Amino acid sequence: MNPMQANLRALAAALLCAVLSVVIVSLPVYHFEANVYTKRSGNTFVGDERYQAARQEVDALAADYSARGIETETTEEVIERTNSKGEKTSLVVFRVNKEIRCSGWDFLRTGFPSGKVLIGMLALEAAALLLAALGCLGSGNTLWRDVKGASRALRNGAIALSVAALAAAVVFILYTNVIINRQISLYATGIAPSPGEKVLSAADALIYQGAGGQDTAQLLKSTVSSVIPLWWLQIPALLGLTVCLIAVRDGHVAHGLQRGLMYLAVIVMCVVILYPFVIMFISAFRTDADATDVNFQYMVPVTWMWENLSYILGRGVLKYLLNSLILSAGATCLALLCGIPAAYAMARMRFKGRKLFMGFVIMSQMFSPVVLLVGISRLMINLRLNDTLLGLVFVNAAFNQAFAIWLLRGTFVSISPEMEQAACIDGCNSVTALIRVLLPMAAPGIVTTLIFVFINSWNEYTISTVLINSDSNRPITVGLTQFAAFSMIQWNYLFASSLLATIPVVILFMFIEKHLVSGLTSGGVKG
Amino acid sequence: MKKLLALLMALCLCLSCMAFAAAEDGVTLDVIICEYGNNTRNWFLGTGMNGSNFVDLFQAANPDIKLNLEVVSWSDVHKEVSTRISNGNAPDILNIDTFSEFVADNLLLPVKDYCPDDLFEDFFPAFIQESIIDGTVWAVPDLASARALYYNKAIFDEVGIEVPATWGELKDACQAIKDFYAGDVYGIGLDLTEDEGQATFAYFAWGNNGGFTDENGAWALNSDKNVEAMEFVMDLINSGYANPSPSTQTRYELQDLFGAGKLAMVIAPNQLPQYLAEKGFTVDFVTADIPHNEGATGSSVGVMDRVMAFKDDAAPDQAARNDAIGRFLKFFYDPQNYVGWVSMETFLPAVNSAVGALVESDPSFQAWLNVLANCRFYPAANAQWADVRNGVVVDVEQRALTGEEVRPLLDTLQTKITGK
Amino acid sequence: MNQILVRHKWEPYLWLLPSVLLMGVFVVYPVCIVFKLSFSEISRSGVVGSLNGLDNYITAVTAPEFGSVMLNTLIWVVSVVGISTLLGFVAALLLNAEFFGRKVARSIMVFPWAATLVVQASVWKYIINYEYGALNNTLLNLGVISQSVNWRATYVIDFIWECGIGIFVTIPFVTFCVLAGLQSIDVSYYEAATVDGADFWKKLKHLTLPLVRPSLTVSTVLNIIYVFNSFPIIYTITRGAPAHKTDTLVTYLYMLAFSEQRKGPATALSVVGFLILCVCAGIYMMVTMRKEGEEA
Repeated sequence: MNPMQANLRALAAALLCAVLSVVIVSLPVYHFEANVYTKRSGNTFVGDERYQAARQEVDALAADYSARGIETETTEEVIERTNSKGEKTSLVVFRVNKEIRCSGWDFLRTGFPSGKVLIGMLALEAAALLLAALGCLGSGNTLWRDVKGASRALRNGAIALSVAALAAAVVFILYTNVIINRQISLYATGIAPSPGEKVLSAADALIYQGAGGQDTAQLLKSTVSSVIPLWWLQIPALLGLTVCLIAVRDGHVAHGLQRGLMYLAVIVMCVVILYPFVIMFISAFRTDADATDVNFQYMVPVTWMWENLSYILGRGVLKYLLNSLILSAGATCLALLCGIPAAYAMARMRFKGRKLFMGFVIMSQMFSPVVLLVGISRLMINLRLNDTLLGLVFVNAAFNQAFAIWLLRGTFVSISPEMEQAACIDGCNSVTALIRVLLPMAAPGIVTTLIFVFINSWNEYTISTVLINSDSNRPITVGLTQFAAFSMIQWNYLFASSLLATIPVVILFMFIEKHLVSGLTSGGVKG
Repeated sequence: MKKLLALLMALCLCLSCMAFAAAEDGVTLDVIICEYGNNTRNWFLGTGMNGSNFVDLFQAANPDIKLNLEVVSWSDVHKEVSTRISNGNAPDILNIDTFSEFVADNLLLPVKDYCPDDLFEDFFPAFIQESIIDGTVWAVPDLASARALYYNKAIFDEVGIEVPATWGELKDACQAIKDFYAGDVYGIGLDLTEDEGQATFAYFAWGNNGGFTDENGAWALNSDKNVEAMEFVMDLINSGYANPSPSTQTRYELQDLFGAGKLAMVIAPNQLPQYLAEKGFTVDFVTADIPHNEGATGSSVGVMDRVMAFKDDAAPDQAARNDAIGRFLKFFYDPQNYVGWVSMETFLPAVNSAVGALVESDPSFQAWLNVLANCRFYPAANAQWADVRNGVVVDVEQRALTGEEVRPLLDTLQTKITGK
Repeated sequence: MNQILVRHKWEPYLWLLPSVLLMGVFVVYPVCIVFKLSFSEISRSGVVGSLNGLDNYITAVTAPEFGSVMLNTLIWVVSVVGISTLLGFVAALLLNAEFFGRKVARSIMVFPWAATLVVQASVWKYIINYEYGALNNTLLNLGVISQSVNWRATYVIDFIWECGIGIFVTIPFVTFCVLAGLQSIDVSYYEAATVDGADFWKKLKHLTLPLVRPSLTVSTVLNIIYVFNSFPIIYTITRGAPAHKTDTLVTYLYMLAFSEQRKGPATALSVVGFLILCVCAGIYMMVTMRKEGEEA
C-alpha cells in the first residue's frame, strides 16, 4: 500500500469519526422521565382533609408550571388496603408529568459541566481531520518526502486523536450520569449537600428551560432522569470503530481485529482484577457513615479520612504486621532448612523407602490445618508453645514442607548432576557439593519456593485464630478480625489495615514476578 | 548445624517456659473478660481507667495475687474456652454468657465458696435466680441489657402511621411503609443469623405467651404458640416487610441501616443510642415496647452475662485460691471501678450499689432499669440451652427461610432436644 | 545416571531427618490426636470423655445437612478448580503474547495472589452488599443501573458468588504455572508450525497443550488440595447460612466444632475429609508412579 492510499484511508476514517461524533452530540441523550413532581400522601382517603391539602399543593405546582410555559399533566393513584383490624387504609400518589429529551447540543448550550467533555471531543475530531488532511496533502509532495516518516506520523496522529475523541463520548455519558443521577437528585431529596450554584442553574436551564429559578431544588425532587438505553449501544459501536481504525493504520483488517480484541481482553481482565483493590483503597479512607451510606452518594470519599490510618496504627496493626513478618520469615527459613536436604536426598540419592517418603510427603499435603485444629492446639499446649509465635513458625513450616520439597526436588532434578559428581571426585563431600555447587545453580527455584512458603504463612488464618490468644502475639490476619467480627464490621478500618497488610506483599511480588516465572520454568512445577 | 541450633533453641525455650510456670508461687488468677466494645481492652489493659488500667490498679491493691487477665473478643471466646478446657487448662475466672454446660461437666465452683456475703447480697435477686441449677448458685451476673423496639419517628410521621403495639398493627405499619416507599425502606429488622437468631425467636414467642420452656421449666419448643410466632416471623419476611437477607444480616448491620434511615423499626438493646451517636448517625428515633400478639401479654427481653469461677484441683491451697477469687470480685464490683465500666459499655448494672451513681450520671438509666425489672431471660440454666439456641437458629429459623414448614421443624427440634 | 555418590548406607536418611522430624511432630502427631478424639466422647464444654466407638461418625454422617454439605463440597471443588484452570490458561496465553504494557499486566495479575484470602473475601462481601455495597455504588453513580440491585437475593446466588470469588483468587496461580510452562517452549516449534500453515487453533491443540500439560497437571493437583481445604471465603461471606446450605465440608466442620460446640462429630468429619483427600492422593500417586516407571 502506498503512503497516499494509506493517508487517504486515514482521512476517510477520521471523517467517519467526525460524522459519528456530530451524530452522537445531536442525538437525544437524556430522558427526564414522567414525574416532574411526585407527592405521596399516606393514610389519606379520597376527599378527606389530607387529600385536599395534597391536591392543592399539586395543583398549585402544575399551575405554576403552566404560568412559566411548561405544560404538565397530573395523575393520581390510590392504593387501598384493608388492615388487620378490618379498617380501610389508603395511600394517594400524585404525579405531575412532563417529558423532556435533551441532546448533546442542549448540554453545550446550557453550559452544563459535562458539556466541556463534548467540546473537547469535537476539538479532538477537528484536530484529527486536520492532521489527516495534512498527511494527504503531504504524501503527494516531493518536498515532504525528505522529512522521513512525516506523513506516517501525521496518519498515526490522526488515528490516535480519533480514538481519543470516541473515548470522550463515553466519558461524557458517565460524567453526566454522576452529576445528574447522583449529585443533583440526591441534593433535591435533601440527602446530599448542594452541588453548587452553577450546576443547579445549568440543570434548571436544561430541564425546565430556565423556568425553575429559585425552586429548582424543589422541582428536581422526584424528577426521574435516565439515559436513553439506545445510547449504550454506542459503546460497542465505538469499540468496533476503534478496531477498524487500528486496522486502517496497520493495513490488515484481521490483524487489527485480533490486536483490538486482545487489548480489550487485557483491559477487561485488569479492570476486574483491580476493582476490589481500588474499592479497598477508596473505602479505607471513608468515614464510618460514608462507608455504609445507603444512598450511594459518592463514588470517592468527600473528605479523605487519612486519620483512619493513624487510628488503626493506634489499635496495634503495626505490631500485628511485625508479628506476621517474623512468623512468615521464620517459617520460610525453617521450611527451607529442612526442605532443601530432603529434596536433595530425593533428587540425588537412591535408597530404600524413597517412594514411601514421597508418599508421606504428598499425604501430609492433604491436610488442611482446619481439619487438624483440635490436634494441633492440644500438641501446642503439650509443648508449651500455645500462644507463641514460635509455635506458629513450626506449624507453618511443617505444613509447607511437602510443597517445598516437591518444588525443590523438581528444581534439583532439572539440573545436571555432573558438576556435583566432579566436585565429589575432587574430594568434596555431599554437603559441600550441595552448598557450593547445586544451591547457586538452583537459585531461581529456591526463590520461587521461598515466595510460596512465605505467602502461605503470611495468609495463614485458621490456626492462628485458635493458637494465639494474647493480643501482642497476633499475626495480621487475626488482628484484622477486631474490625470484622461477623456481627459488627467497621469497613473503613478493616480496609485501612488490609491495605497495610497487602501493599508490602504486592510490591514484593511485583519485584520478583520475573523470577517467579523463571523459577517455575526451571523445572519446579514440572514435577 | 543451623537446624540443630534451631532445635536446641526451641528446646531451651520450651524448658524455660516450663520452668517459668513451675517457679510461680502465691496465687495466680487466669481471668478471661469478653470484649464488649471498642474500649474494653483499653479499660482492662491499657490506659482507660483515668490513665491507669484495671489490672495495674488491682495488682497495686493486691500485691500477693498475680492477675493474668485476657480480653477476648466475643467471636473467639467460646472457641478459646472450650479448647482450654479440652486441654485441661481452664481459666480461673471466666466472663461469658452461658454456664450450664460447665456445671454439667462439674467444672465450676459454687458461688458461695468464694463470694463474700456482703457482695452476694448486693446482686439483684432476680438475676441470681437465673444462675441457679439444682438449688446451687453457680455464677454471678456481671451486667445486663434490655431490648426494646426503636422506630424512626420521621418515617412514621411521613407515612402517617402510629407505633404498632400488636402484631396486626405491626403488619399494617410495615405494609404502609412498603407502599409509601415502594420498598426502599424496610419495615422491621429481623436477625436470623447465628449471632442473635435466638433473640428474634424470643421476641415473638414470648410476645405470643409461648417461649422456650413451659411453666415447669421443661422444653416446649413445638408449642402451638411458638409455631404461630415463627409463622408470623416468616410471614413478615415473605411479605417483604423485613430486611432482605435475614440469615446474613446481623443486628449491628440492622442498626446501621436503622441509623441511615433505611429501616423503620428495629429491636435493639439499650446501647443503641450511643452506638448510633458514635457512628455519626443523626436519626430521630423513639423507643416502644416490643409488639405482642393480640390477646397475649408483652414482655421485654433481657440479656445477661455472667462471671464464674472454675475448679482447680491442682491448686495447692484451695482456701487461698477461693479468697483470691473473692477479692477479685470485690474489686470488680467496687462501685469506684464498676460504675465507670458499666457506664462506659452503656450496659445496665447487676448490683444495687451501682444504681445510685448510674442514675445520677444519666437519668435515662432509670427508665431502662424499670424495663429490666420485668424482663425475661433466656433459660441459660438448662444444660441443653446451647443446643436449643443453635437448633432454633439453624434448624428452625434458617431452614424455614429456605421454604420449609415451621411446625415439622419445631417438632423435629423438640424431639432432638428432649429425646421423645 | 542422576545420582551422586553415597558413602554410607544411612546417609540419605540423615538428610531426610529434619524434614521427617518436623512433619512427624507437627503434622503426624496432631493427626493421631484427631483420630483418637474422633472415637471419643467430647462434652459441649470441651471435656474429653471415654471412647465411644463410631458414635461420632454416625452422628456426623446422619445429620440432615450432611448430604447437601458434601454436594456443595463437590460443586465447590469442581467448579473452582475447573473454571479457574480454564480461565487461568486463557490468561496465560494472553500474557504470553507480545503487547504494549505486558509487564504492567503481569504485575496486576499478581494482585489476587498476594493479598490475604480473609482480606479479599471481606472486600468482596463489601462489594456485593445490597444496601451500601461498592458494586451498586459504582454502577448507580455511572448510571448503568438506576435502582440498586440485590446481588445476594438467595443462598444459591450467595454460593455462586463464593465460587466466583474462589475462582478469582485461584486464577493467578494457574496463570503463572502455565506461563512458566509456555516460556519453556522453544519458539522454533511455532515458527515451524507457521511455515507448515497451521492456524492458531491447530497450534494450540497440537503444540501448546501437550507442552504445557505437565505444568497444568501440577497446578490442578495442588489446586484441588488448596480449594478443598479453603476456608476463609465461605466463612467470611455467609458462614454457611442459611442452615448450612452454603457450607463446604471444611467450613461445616469448623462451625460444628467452634460455633455449635459439637467437637465429637466435627473431629469425625475431619477424619472423613482426610480420607477423601487420601483417596485422591492415592489415585494421583498411582498415576505419577506409573509415569515415573515409564520414564525409567
